[in-house]
Amino acid sequence: MNFGRYKRELSALLAYVALLVAVGAAAPSFFGAGNLRDMALNNAPVLLVAVGMTLVILVGEIDISVGSQFAVCSVAAGWMAKEGVPVALLLPAVILLGSLMGAVNGALVGYLRLPSIIVTLAMLVAWRDALRWTTQGAWVQDLPRNFQWFGLGQGAAQWLIVGGALLVLAAFSWMLRNLSAGRAVHAVGSDAEAARLAGIEPRRVVFGVFVLMGALTGLAALLNAVRFNAVPSNAGIGLELKAVAAVVVGGTAITGGRGTLVGTLIGAALLGTIGTALTFVGINPFWEKAIQGAIILAALVSDVALGHLDRVRAMGLTLRAARAK
Amino acid sequence: MNPTVTQPEARELKVNAPWRERVFPNNEWVLIVVILAECAVFSVTGNNFLSRDNAFEITRLSVEIGLLALALTPIIITGGIDLSVGSMMGLAAVVLGALWRDAELPMPAAIALTLAVGALGGYLNALMITRLNFPPLIVTLGTFSLFRGVAEGLTRGIENYSGFSQGFLFLGQGYVGGLVPTQLFVLVAAAAACWWWLHRTPYGRSLYAIGFSDEGARYAGVPVRSRLTLIYVLSGLAASLAAVIYVAHLGQAKSDAGTGYELMAITAVVLGGASIFGGRGTVLGTLLGLFGIVILQNGLRLSAQPAELAGILTGVLLVATILLDRLSTRARTQPRAAHTHAEDFEVRNSQVAILSAVILLGALIVAGSNWMLVRSVREHAAAGGAPSSPVAAGAPAGQPAGGGKKAVVALMPKAKGDPYFVSCKAGADEAAKELGVELLWDGPTDLDPAKQNEVVEAWITRGVDAIAVSVENKVGISTVLRKARQRGIKVITWDADAEKDARDFFINQATPQGIGYTLMDEAARITGGKGDFAIITASLSAANQNEWIKFIKERLAEKYPEMKLVAVQPSEGDRDRAFSETQTVLKVYPTVKLVMAIAAPAVPGAAEAVKQSGRTDVKVTGLSLPNMCKPYVKEGVIESIVLWNTVDLGYLTVYASNALAAGQLKPGDAGLTAGRLGKIEVAGEEVRLGAPFVFNKENIDNFNF
Repeated sequence: MNFGRYKRELSALLAYVALLVAVGAAAPSFFGAGNLRDMALNNAPVLLVAVGMTLVILVGEIDISVGSQFAVCSVAAGWMAKEGVPVALLLPAVILLGSLMGAVNGALVGYLRLPSIIVTLAMLVAWRDALRWTTQGAWVQDLPRNFQWFGLGQGAAQWLIVGGALLVLAAFSWMLRNLSAGRAVHAVGSDAEAARLAGIEPRRVVFGVFVLMGALTGLAALLNAVRFNAVPSNAGIGLELKAVAAVVVGGTAITGGRGTLVGTLIGAALLGTIGTALTFVGINPFWEKAIQGAIILAALVSDVALGHLDRVRAMGLTLRAARAK
Repeated sequence: MNPTVTQPEARELKVNAPWRERVFPNNEWVLIVVILAECAVFSVTGNNFLSRDNAFEITRLSVEIGLLALALTPIIITGGIDLSVGSMMGLAAVVLGALWRDAELPMPAAIALTLAVGALGGYLNALMITRLNFPPLIVTLGTFSLFRGVAEGLTRGIENYSGFSQGFLFLGQGYVGGLVPTQLFVLVAAAAACWWWLHRTPYGRSLYAIGFSDEGARYAGVPVRSRLTLIYVLSGLAASLAAVIYVAHLGQAKSDAGTGYELMAITAVVLGGASIFGGRGTVLGTLLGLFGIVILQNGLRLSAQPAELAGILTGVLLVATILLDRLSTRARTQPRAAHTHAEDFEVRNSQVAILSAVILLGALIVAGSNWMLVRSVREHAAAGGAPSSPVAAGAPAGQPAGGGKKAVVALMPKAKGDPYFVSCKAGADEAAKELGVELLWDGPTDLDPAKQNEVVEAWITRGVDAIAVSVENKVGISTVLRKARQRGIKVITWDADAEKDARDFFINQATPQGIGYTLMDEAARITGGKGDFAIITASLSAANQNEWIKFIKERLAEKYPEMKLVAVQPSEGDRDRAFSETQTVLKVYPTVKLVMAIAAPAVPGAAEAVKQSGRTDVKVTGLSLPNMCKPYVKEGVIESIVLWNTVDLGYLTVYASNALAAGQLKPGDAGLTAGRLGKIEVAGEEVRLGAPFVFNKENIDNFNF
């Protein structure tokens, strides 16, 4: 097997293993089954969003509006449940809502060819403030009893959430590799013009990817919301940065075309572990943000250390690749 | 995606181009139209919008973001980005405070060193971008966390440097010639220098070349690396300069300075016509973009319209401007073969598109404000039309202030969306309706001391009878509150106090000492006075919570030797974060028998974590709202919560403000009659709501907020 192609993923994995070993040595109780389950549950929503973000970054775009979309979907899920929408219908309804918001981004970026960072910056502000205006900060409370855990009971629903997130990850990973649509994502991200000449419609691919991003954000919002019995109106602040960081630490090139979902899984696990690990080791939480920033930079530098820097791509110093759209 | 626009159009040298294209190469004139439209709308809907004072206030408030935007302009022109500027402001503010107070350096030396730190931070970004060839987006995303994290780590989030000399504060608060804000000169100088450098020197021109193609620029003999290094260093420098002004403006230096400023600055640059892909952008455009946003926010405030509208409209403006730009660019880059009629036609087409979009946008703003206006008028009619409440009819404090004219009372929460303050607003609305006063309710959307000052400034300009503020930052807001008092506006603080001479009265619902002691006593009662406990706080730099923790520790040390505080973990005011932090605490410290959460959303988060863990031996207490916690209190997970009646707090604040404005409440009064609350105790300059209240299983159903 050719490991050279996956050096970025391997370096992230190396960092992750090093972190686990260090924490394991300092605080063995970290590996308790309960802790691992809780960490998996708490990070499942971020993972789902990061899966969508991987697709978006693979086509050479970015979506920083996901945190606000996440909040809108969470509150909408709460409202619908309160209005008596059956729990079984919540899932498709919230995913549809997420897809619609994704479609707005997708249409503006894909078909009108506006730069994604600006479009999603605008949406980040607009959705968040629209939600603040509508809810006036009030939480959605007094939800029906069967909202929490889908009415399945804590144990079963916990498996469902973690299993569901991993299944989505596996499914997308398989599709990226084996379906023509998946290959098209890589192709458009590598060189949109070449992809077009090869018979791929780049606009449609970009549009589709943003819709998927929205759908996954909706799914993540619902799976997160059902872990509680009320929905706060300020969910998901800063989620976009967590997701982008997970994707990038996982080795996906910000300029598009290169990256794997396994890498994203490692990146999400690495960043999702740090906070908990610090508490276990007994390091003051004041330093958490600094350490997180250092790890993102270290993941970049480790690329150099491994002698595998995709120079051609990084030469651009810029987001110039995106200009080709 | 379309091959016809693979590059921003490579413009030919336009020596003889029409003046419009020379002055506004990126259609920046659209922004002038937008700004004029904003001014036209707000001069009708806003109070005192078109005044000289307001014009200068707007510029004062835009200096910090303006400096960041100016620094980002050359970076974006080269196709890069710097997300770390806001975090650098936090780091630089902390460094400035530490050097001045702890290292006891003279102020000029401290400022010089702070600027050096900023430049060094910028150099770190530059190093990784130019030497290691990493994408700027990722590098600065990393330093975005790193700089803020170092600032928080250095100060433990708690340190708040204040007590700066008057001379230094003049830089951020003073007026030159009694009129022009001091820091405006800094912005004007920076803008002029930046304009000259970028548009009138070969150095600046080379940045455009890099933005179009760094390879091409290299072959043309441009030293790409050193040019890029310089602009990132300048960006760090500008951020630390902005931090110095921010500190002088607020009179305090804390690690949360400049949070979120990077997005505002990027928005201004992009709104000003710069292309995020590089090669395009002007200083004039950036300044117009900046004022477009700032005027929008200020105007909405003076029109007493929801600040959330600003976010929505900014989003719309952003998309609309780049859309217009894309349309007109497409028109200009059509094949040039048919040079005569075809091109003329295209250009005219694009102009029509731009004009109609601008008109649409203007209509949107007008429609939006009209809708709000109609709504508020209708509300007033409903409130004024109804006979005054039965209480108001009898009580002297119940008359509207100022005889027949409706009094205007402005209330500011620490954060608008916070459920705690949402419940205060319910009481305030109730009181305003009973008294027939006009209530303005505005404030930051998230905890942000700078924004509080901005809102007070807007209210002073607008003209109100009384201002009541829940103070986030004592030192920072006092200057502007004093200014309000000088202008004859009555000032009240509620929920949290400012400096004594900056306000007429303080509505005291509980002192930090009272809260801290009550929480600790409650914790001791639940645990029987022994055992370990943990605290889940808001953010680690939250001023209030840190004050409470101080008194909790004080009480702990003096009265409960057998109890031990094992951990203080942050929740960032996020329920989900409080949930996961509590889970971790329970596992790391299995001996913890009590979790004390001291932020409203953190209590239900902690309770859910305890419930899901199945640990029935662990109890939760803290400071939160009854409605949020009801299910857990009934299940017995939350033993009790400590709070006062927040609805009554809002209610009392409006009554007191109105009485003060009408001259019915004076220092030395022994009591105040406040509607349904009856007679309220007044002591010196404090109106007392009463001691903190403990909600538990027995009484929680009696409260609905």
